[in-house]
Amino acid sequence: METLFLEATYSGTVELCPETISYLTKKGYTKIGLYASVQFVGKLETVESQLNELGVTSVTSRPDRTHVKGQLLGCDNYHNSLNLDKDIQVYLYVGDGRFHPLALVYAQKDSNEMKEIICNDPINKRMVLMGIEDICTILKKYRGSLVKFFTAKMVGVLITIKPGQEQFKPALLLEKKYLDKRFYYFIDNVISFDQLENFNFIDVWVNTACPRVGFDDQEKFVRGVINLNDALSVEEILGKESVFNKKIQ
Amino acid sequence: MMLYDAEVQKVLDKIKESNAKTVCIQLPDGMKPYAKEIEEKIREETGARVLIWLGSNFGACDIPLGLNKMGVDLLVSWGHNIFHKKMEGW
Repeated sequence: METLFLEATYSGTVELCPETISYLTKKGYTKIGLYASVQFVGKLETVESQLNELGVTSVTSRPDRTHVKGQLLGCDNYHNSLNLDKDIQVYLYVGDGRFHPLALVYAQKDSNEMKEIICNDPINKRMVLMGIEDICTILKKYRGSLVKFFTAKMVGVLITIKPGQEQFKPALLLEKKYLDKRFYYFIDNVISFDQLENFNFIDVWVNTACPRVGFDDQEKFVRGVINLNDALSVEEILGKESVFNKKIQ
Repeated sequence: MMLYDAEVQKVLDKIKESNAKTVCIQLPDGMKPYAKEIEEKIREETGARVLIWLGSNFGACDIPLGLNKMGVDLLVSWGHNIFHKKMEGW
């Protein structure tokens, strides 16, 4: 069976709204990181020339799982996933909704400082700012889950069978690193949140499906959940000087 | 007017080129209301049987499984492009 992907490019004009232009001017930003979701990423010419007129230099990158430069996926939400090696003062995201730009907030949680994210929505022609306050509640619970994992004896590892997600082999690193814990592996197509509590012997869950499940769906896990890559470096995460440790207690 | 370009002609061309007889269409939530329009266009223009994926379309990582067993020749998935999986994990 063949698969044809169609990007569903936005049919309208993609440009900076007056609110975004006046905010950029007011703040005096001169170097920004520019990203967009796939519906908008191929239509950024006007945005780039508007930035140019404002004297703002834009830089971008091709994050790990994307296909084109400047594209942002919700799952490229760890700092090293972005592959951005240049200094910037602020992020500018072009697109609608919260899912994609929140990846830029999560991506900075382990950094020393949080750069704000200016979201320019070309559909509704408005600007929204995002920062650590947007994910504080989730990160507080996430911290609790990290601490819980640290002492847990019985850990449930969630693996999904979708070809783009299946991460069974990387998950096996857990039992090599944590010899004092017993890992149970659970397999599913889409994570069945309503089934989790049937396995009442599990102290805490490790998510290997979409990494956004570990954050955005935190409330659905009564016993807590952390993502696989965080599970493999819990001590480092809790011990470093980061936005996560400075702002989330 | 649809906010996003569905590129239906590209789908029709692909079906004709590959001689697909059974096609599954997977739409993101925002485009699901247009399933009727797209299904009818494909059926009328190509004669292919169209199956509309009811479930999720979280990303290009979220491809329906088991379609081969249903004899599906072509899956058309909107709203994403090629996903580069990292084999070593997230």
